Amino acid sequence: MSLTTEFTKGIWDKNPVFKLVLGMCPVLAVTTTAENGLGMGVAITFVLICSNFVVSLMRKLIPAEVRIPAFIIIIATFVTVVQFMMEAWAYDLHLALGIYIPLIVVNCLILGRAEGFASKNPVLRAIVDGAGMGIGFTLALFILGAIREVFGAGEIFGYAVFGASYPPVLLLLLPPGGFIALGLVLAVLNRCTQHKV
Amino acid sequence: MKPFCRLVITLTLIAAGAGLVLSLVESATREPIAAQRKIQQLKAISAVLPVFDNSPTDDCVVLEIGRDKKDQPFSCTFFRARKEDQLVGVAFRVISRDGYSGAIEIMVGVDSQEQIVAIEILSNSETPGLGSKITSTVFKDQFRKRDLTNTDWRVKKDGGEIDQLTGATISPRATVAAIKQGLEFFKQHRAQILARQGDPL
Repeated sequence: MSLTTEFTKGIWDKNPVFKLVLGMCPVLAVTTTAENGLGMGVAITFVLICSNFVVSLMRKLIPAEVRIPAFIIIIATFVTVVQFMMEAWAYDLHLALGIYIPLIVVNCLILGRAEGFASKNPVLRAIVDGAGMGIGFTLALFILGAIREVFGAGEIFGYAVFGASYPPVLLLLLPPGGFIALGLVLAVLNRCTQHKV
Repeated sequence: MKPFCRLVITLTLIAAGAGLVLSLVESATREPIAAQRKIQQLKAISAVLPVFDNSPTDDCVVLEIGRDKKDQPFSCTFFRARKEDQLVGVAFRVISRDGYSGAIEIMVGVDSQEQIVAIEILSNSETPGLGSKITSTVFKDQFRKRDLTNTDWRVKKDGGEIDQLTGATISPRATVAAIKQGLEFFKQHRAQILARQGDPL
């Protein structure tokens, strides 16, 4: 596979949310607004690229028996780095995302890419794969967040889109709304593409 | 034995490397994080007090206000605001655990007559769109100028004077009860809270 396909597969063909349906905890929990979705996506992309890079770099040094704990330590380190940086330079986002940042450690998408891709591929491919998957994930979170914010609160990035007469569909902002919005998007994708989820 | 040693050494090295990276990042972000927290605190304090010219985050007293379930002392910080060296108000943070989900943190500002200047909801995880409306100005503004004597500190549904929110009674009820408790504590410990270092009680 060429590097370009390695990059684009994460965005569409194997989009982690819409096609692989991996790492659903942050997808459902933080996508109440487009901004939160975007912030979470950027944090995950950063962790994914860094952990893929380091895992690929050390793939010949880590014995197979302890690879999972080794991967988890690497991932947890980058997640903590993100958490520190977010609190220092993006405080509002830090408040909004709260507990879901440390929970990135147990996101199966990141461990999945480390185990399934980075540990078997050279460094450059691993970075490109991480970037593609991260951008695909960010895109999905942004789309879901935007749908839930527009219809659930009648706003996008805090600006009203419908007039004051629009009654917001509160349900979309509540936890069940996350499942419903995701289900609707998946249904549309199933209808329009060959790949069935 | 040999492969076992290799596993131990590899994991130890990786963990040590991780520790090194984390300590570097921590020392680089320590100051910005402390500064951010101070700014946030000052913002919340300024929102609930009249104009002041001192630095309440430095002019504060910490008192033990009770004990939690594990019998650990539970403290509250009182920030004193002064203008031209005269006390204009005190801000303090109260926490309610009776909300619909999670703790509600409220910053309360009172003037020297123990009347509320304003309140600010610092954090809550109430239901979005229902209970979370305790952060709306309509709800917060009704606390202005209230004190322990001029108000029946209950929501209207319970026979009091504070408007609850449509579709949400639990969150306002928890908020009101927490603020009332805070005011009562303030009244009982007024001398301690207002005492300056070196001042006679």
